[in-house]
Amino acid sequence: MTMTTEPRTAPVVRLDGREKVTGVGRYAADMTLTGLLHGRFRFADIGHARIKRIDTTRAKALPGVVAVITEADVPDVQYGLFIKDRRLFAKGVVRWEGEVVAAVAALTPEIAKRAVELIEIDYEPLPVITDIEAALAPGAPLIHENWESYWQDEKLVRSGNEASRSTIVKGDTAAALASADLVVKGRYVAAGSQAAPIEPRAILAEWRSDRVQIWSSTQVPFAARSLVSETLGLPENKIRVTVPHLGGGFGAKCEGHFEPQVAALARAARRPVKVVFSRRDEFLAPDHRREGMIVEVESGVMRDGTIVARRAQVLTENGAYSADEPLITILAAIFSTGPYNVPNVDITGRCAYTNTQPSGSVRAPGAPQAAWALEQHMDEIAKALDMDPVDLRRKNLLRNGDLSPTSQVMSEIRAVETLDKAAELIGWGQPLPDDEGIGIACAWWPSFPMATSAFVKINVDGSPTIITGAQECGTGAVMTLPILAGEILGIDPSEFSLVYQDTESGPWDGGAGGSQTLFNNGRAVADAAMDVRRQLLKLAADELEAAEDDIELADGRARVKGSPDRFVTIAALADKTQGTQLLVGKGSGEVPPTPASDTSACTGRLGAESFAAPTFGTHAVRVKVDRDTGVVRVLKVVAAHDSGYIVNKVGAAGQVTGGVVMGLGQALTEGTQISGEGRVRNAHLLDYKLQTMADVPDISVWFTDTAVSDAGPKGSKGVGEPPCIPTPGAVANAIAAATGARVRELPATPGRIWSALREGQA
Amino acid sequence: MSALASGSTAMGQATAAGPSYTAPTTVDDVIAAMATGSRVVAGGTDLVVGSRQGRWPVPEHLVAIHRVNSLRGIRPVVDGGLWLGATATHGEIAEDATIRERYTALADASSIVGSRATRNVGTLGGNIANASPAAETSGPLMCFGATCMLESRNGRRELPLDELFSGPGRTVAAMDELLVSVSLPAQPAGTGSCYARLEYRRQMEIAVVGATAVVTLDGGQITAARVAITSLAPTVRRVPEAEAALIGSTGDRAAAERAGEAAAAASLPIDDVRAAADYRRAMAAVITRRVVQAAVDRARGETVSIPASASLHGAL
Repeated sequence: MTMTTEPRTAPVVRLDGREKVTGVGRYAADMTLTGLLHGRFRFADIGHARIKRIDTTRAKALPGVVAVITEADVPDVQYGLFIKDRRLFAKGVVRWEGEVVAAVAALTPEIAKRAVELIEIDYEPLPVITDIEAALAPGAPLIHENWESYWQDEKLVRSGNEASRSTIVKGDTAAALASADLVVKGRYVAAGSQAAPIEPRAILAEWRSDRVQIWSSTQVPFAARSLVSETLGLPENKIRVTVPHLGGGFGAKCEGHFEPQVAALARAARRPVKVVFSRRDEFLAPDHRREGMIVEVESGVMRDGTIVARRAQVLTENGAYSADEPLITILAAIFSTGPYNVPNVDITGRCAYTNTQPSGSVRAPGAPQAAWALEQHMDEIAKALDMDPVDLRRKNLLRNGDLSPTSQVMSEIRAVETLDKAAELIGWGQPLPDDEGIGIACAWWPSFPMATSAFVKINVDGSPTIITGAQECGTGAVMTLPILAGEILGIDPSEFSLVYQDTESGPWDGGAGGSQTLFNNGRAVADAAMDVRRQLLKLAADELEAAEDDIELADGRARVKGSPDRFVTIAALADKTQGTQLLVGKGSGEVPPTPASDTSACTGRLGAESFAAPTFGTHAVRVKVDRDTGVVRVLKVVAAHDSGYIVNKVGAAGQVTGGVVMGLGQALTEGTQISGEGRVRNAHLLDYKLQTMADVPDISVWFTDTAVSDAGPKGSKGVGEPPCIPTPGAVANAIAAATGARVRELPATPGRIWSALREGQA
Repeated sequence: MSALASGSTAMGQATAAGPSYTAPTTVDDVIAAMATGSRVVAGGTDLVVGSRQGRWPVPEHLVAIHRVNSLRGIRPVVDGGLWLGATATHGEIAEDATIRERYTALADASSIVGSRATRNVGTLGGNIANASPAAETSGPLMCFGATCMLESRNGRRELPLDELFSGPGRTVAAMDELLVSVSLPAQPAGTGSCYARLEYRRQMEIAVVGATAVVTLDGGQITAARVAITSLAPTVRRVPEAEAALIGSTGDRAAAERAGEAAAAASLPIDDVRAAADYRRAMAAVITRRVVQAAVDRARGETVSIPASASLHGAL
């Protein structure tokens, strides 16, 4: 087959596409096994309480119930990324409504449901804290009474309900603020929100002697395996985690979730068990939702628009237990200064325990809310200076040679290009109808270099296979790997098969998080393909009686450069390897270095201060606001990104489009609502309002598409997360531009816009 | 709790052991099943969805009515009115030429219920019987003077729709009464109507605030007016003060605003996950004003596309 178009621009036929589109693809909930039991969790169902008694007698006595387990039935292990503050099942105290207290395995889902209801729990209610500032107030009741006894990362600074405290400090902010022409202040409050993957998670576990096979809808099979290992005390090679097709995750399926509980349940039942979450469970129980955040920021600016200093306090909502939120809080602190050249910064990030669902990474964790706050603040500065918001940003955006908040020297970045392009494509400055407005927002985000490996093999018939530990979460990142291998081996990408998302088949991988899949696995696969390429060239050199340097691989053949008639097919070469050395390549590639930074004045560091291959982007949004009702319709979005070289243009544009839509929902209609008792009030899709296809506006995507060094394959950067960062801020600014009223709460619901308009009129 | 409220958890006297499900083909058989405690299911879009959300369990004993031919369809009747079977779907109503022309507000309502999938199976009878204060079709039906036919083993009775609802999720129908059909009387010449709701997104919505207006114009003056509010009180209800504000006017903006203010004054809005009460009350005025103006426009023969919600304030 000949490639008539450049593979990165051609519509890639995804190797998983046909089965997903036709409905034959299998997800974890679709699976069944001989002797399968149906599991169900008993959740706390109360915001905060001491457990006085758990009695499973009646549940166990129900006909059809095979096993009921609680904390008493598993090893007493505490776990957690930075603070080991939680257990598989609640012990003594429940701290949020979705905490798992017990699990049941039964012959049918209906029996399991009834058995769960028959578990008797006596609670002594404890004070419920749902508010971040109330949790941090002096004298607030402790959510973890024994917090001092928990293991913690040695670099973590914490106290009581404050799960982490960190600072980003550069220069002399107090002096710079004092000498500034003007100081502009703002306070912005963002509600927590949900990743809301369309597939509620499902987990199956089946023991085979002393080994357990788990199928899980996880974004991170290797991390899930590690959690099972840590909590159940098994070596990793006795645990296999396999992911059938994954129906989205958006970060909510990062880290291990519930795999250990289901494995423990299957072990107790001595039969395979499947747990399938309802939509309600998916809203309430996973410990990864986007955190609520309060940003208070003040900037010292000069009359010409130069920002000389920025001080900020970022409060984040940790929830009842600590996942990766302390690290996310550091990211949020960095993002609260934006992608701007600010010589003096003093930012404190504080992460607060609350009696709510634990927060954790959701697509670009910490960034959208911080950017939403900061980009509104930028517009408020522009207004105070009577300056055009685009001009203010252009004056202050990071350029090559500038220093980040942690004094990382910027190089090969194109932030200003994204601003200018977004302004141009949206028609910045054009006259608009009275009820319309355009807003703009900038953002940045790191790439995440990490180790991984891959194999590329040529089967004896010449067909190629990629073996990777990578996880496809719907982004197409894994599906893009054949483009890279195919180019190196002269094979059409559609001819590859893929072995992936299985801990026993592929090498370790960080999983579908941090926009890292193609960034790192692309490097490993390309390296493995180069290994096979060398083997092929050697075989071909013998066969064609030519020097290896004179041979090229193209169209499934090895041929002598300049003499296309002198060739041998890769299939023929593969056939010759039978009985000798098979064509197997392996590779890891060299992990790109993380740039130097100066964090000497920073405290509570957990490792996110230096941004490898940082991406930059600007979104511009045009909205129409119904002033009587506060209902916003988004008319157009322009998304301009510096993501380095683009490996798969169709896939990358799809990521940006999806990120924009996710951002629109966060900006306008989503937001988790929590009662004072710690109960989520909108744990379903009617009242947790994701954007529908009917709401999606015209979206234009533009890339700098320029290779950079110290980055991913071919000079690329991570592309999955950044597109959901600038949208909420751009929408907020567009609403303010259209109405003159500014909504400093997220989401900007019609009711809030209506209130802001009324206050504006007053 | 009404037997019509398909989401109700009340249990009857069914004696069969374990859950049961029947799908008879005659009204008599449905009524017989109801008399022994079975609950009615039609499209299941409230019953099943509500159950999945944990709002109520699926009833132990179900009688499905989708196979009963005499409950289906939409037919003109001799006096110029319209008969709608209880299992007429929102999709059928939204597409019906007579309804779109003469009972336009009902087409406005049915064409925005839930999703397309909901509209394909969700029924008018279910929408009424569920007695939601947010039900889309109830306001239009009330304003058109709809009556509903209830049938049990004790016979039939016909009830004006505005006497049916007794509270959120509650009706005055007895446990064993089946909603068989809805009848709409003919509307006078010169009548225009509109239903619209406040919605935060363009699909898959539920009324945060809704309003219906049916007006009859004669010689440039409103001679008859009916106004109802949705999601603004424990039941969908008419607002006589708003109607009075319109009668005798030309249906101009000032009159529409007076109607809107009357609707706001008559509202008993709640604070909930969808909106704050003060916002809802303010929106009662806005949405009522808009539907009155759209109804007047339609009465004058001007085109306001269906569904009006999209063209009035979702307008682009």
